Amino acid sequence: MELWNYIEYGAWALAALLGLHMLVDWLKTDSTYDEDVLISSREGELEAMAEEHKVH
Amino acid sequence: MADVDITSQTMDGMGPHGTKVGLLRVLGPAHVWALGVGIVLVGEYMGWNFSVGKGGAYAALIACWFAGILYSCVAMIDSEVTSTVASAGGQYTQAKHIIGPLMAFNVGLYLVFAYTMLEAANAITAGYLFSVVATMTGYSGELDQRPFIILVITFLAWLNYRGVLATLTFNLVITAVAFSAIIILFLSTSGILGGGIMDHAALFEGHELPYGWVGVLAAMHFGLWYYLGIEGTTQAAEEVRSPARSLPFGTLAGIMTLLIAATLTWYVCSGILPWEFLGDGVDGAVAPLFSAAQLSGSMALVWLLGFGTLFATLASANGCINDASRAWFAMGRDKYLPGWFGAVHPKYRTPYRAIIFLVPIALIFALGAPLDQVITFSILSGLLGYTFMPLNIILFRRKWPLDTIKRGYEHPFHPIPAIALLTLCGVTFFAVFLGYGTQLVAMIGFYIIVSLWFHFWRYRFVNRGAQFTMPWPKPRGY
Amino acid sequence: MAHYTPPKQGKASQLFDVVVLVVLTIGALFVPLWLNMAGAAKSVANPIADPTWEALGQNAAQAAKYEALGFTPETAHDLILARFDYSFSIGALLTMIVVIVLYYFLILRFSEVEYREVISEKFGK
Repeated sequence: MELWNYIEYGAWALAALLGLHMLVDWLKTDSTYDEDVLISSREGELEAMAEEHKVH
Repeated sequence: MADVDITSQTMDGMGPHGTKVGLLRVLGPAHVWALGVGIVLVGEYMGWNFSVGKGGAYAALIACWFAGILYSCVAMIDSEVTSTVASAGGQYTQAKHIIGPLMAFNVGLYLVFAYTMLEAANAITAGYLFSVVATMTGYSGELDQRPFIILVITFLAWLNYRGVLATLTFNLVITAVAFSAIIILFLSTSGILGGGIMDHAALFEGHELPYGWVGVLAAMHFGLWYYLGIEGTTQAAEEVRSPARSLPFGTLAGIMTLLIAATLTWYVCSGILPWEFLGDGVDGAVAPLFSAAQLSGSMALVWLLGFGTLFATLASANGCINDASRAWFAMGRDKYLPGWFGAVHPKYRTPYRAIIFLVPIALIFALGAPLDQVITFSILSGLLGYTFMPLNIILFRRKWPLDTIKRGYEHPFHPIPAIALLTLCGVTFFAVFLGYGTQLVAMIGFYIIVSLWFHFWRYRFVNRGAQFTMPWPKPRGY
Repeated sequence: MAHYTPPKQGKASQLFDVVVLVVLTIGALFVPLWLNMAGAAKSVANPIADPTWEALGQNAAQAAKYEALGFTPETAHDLILARFDYSFSIGALLTMIVVIVLYYFLILRFSEVEYREVISEKFGK
């Protein structure tokens, strides 16, 4: 076994770990919060609040 | 609605239409620059040199500058529209407000495709780089590139999942390093610092235009690669603190950076590498700046450009994940795609479901298709998007003339940029046709099928009036 | 104009829509590959036996660069001589133009219909 073989295995393991972390967090988030909260984002919030589209 | 203070911590992300968890507004103009340039700069490190192969070194320079004009038009037009339509989804949201839902659906898909394919191309290149480094450090076997390709995609997706500020700050740092590497290579090989090794006149002798003028046209195909993706700055609109100022500033600074980087790259590489080698991105110069550094004889330059290439691919893949997921998210939010994708992570404030969903898609492309194919699909989707932009700006100015809504930026000389852009898109379609006509037709066939699917099936789930969210007056002529 | 209320889409139907899109996407990428219609390959029209740098059309400076890159005239032969074929038929060109124009016409047409509905619901007649 050479050094690069270990690096290969390391890459596999790290990729799996990061993927798993996302997966676990995703499932946890989906079960903790209400779906209505999660998909409550609406387009154009800032425009509605902060900007007036009038020429001064 | 003046009682809603968007700068307060407790109200952050909430809004008057019922948003309880929205994307986080934390980015400044430097992040916009990093997103735009970060996605594109990899094009200087690999890919653009196919245009040399298509028509020779001069043809590549002509293509570089004409594509530069094309993208300057793109940047100006985009800056004007996006300074008023500041929303995740970028051109998708623009199309929805200005042309109509089906156009918007197509534009959204162009964006997701162009970026996901580009992300796959970057991951393939990064995997290749790891194998080069392994060989350089004395590894005798054949390195398995797959774990590195997968690691690049999952790591960057993970970074994107965890928050936009860290993601784009990371991009800012590695993009700056990659850009500096090009400058340093130019300074140290051109004779400005130490002895120069460039010899343009002798290298071009007898090979000025090996294909004649048709080669110049053909070179436009990969000429786009110098700048492809700069239009992605608009995807950050919903996460930028003051979009009306930051987006035009970051985008226009970005295109200027790229014009400099592209010209320097052409100058360095064409003065050091013979055109046949430079123009063959498969058996010749896979990473031309890196090859140029190898010929400089300086080990320091070799490592610098090696890291520059790796950083450029990472920055690009990173930006692509950011942009593709914003576009996918925005379409989900409007029910153009299943509404499930319109979710925002309550803690990290990112479109987390869109990010996760696109990971396996990118992996399929990165592990299953050859590089030039993936690049061509990315370019084609980009090109369809650029063809949409002139139509977009002409209709925008017609439906809402300058005195009807306030614009953060107004681009000059309208409609000349729009006409120039449309003409150059036509030339590029012809260039793509010369090498990849079948893919072009297959791609458009795909878009026709999904358009019919959208119009006759999917659109029933979309709210009609509510998807028009900008506080604009009624468009002229309706 | 009457307000349009979209039906609520169930989980299974959402999933089905995603699968349809993914299948179409992957099809668009891989079908040309499977049919072997992808890509523009370069080929060597007139190979040269026993190549030298001069025979390959390389001057001294060019040859020096190739040698620095680790090539010999033999190994650089294919790299240097391979060329693309840019010949095409007018029929194929016309087909492409028609397909592109038809495509944009189709989406602009349908978009306009949908857009008028959006505007009239948002702003009233």
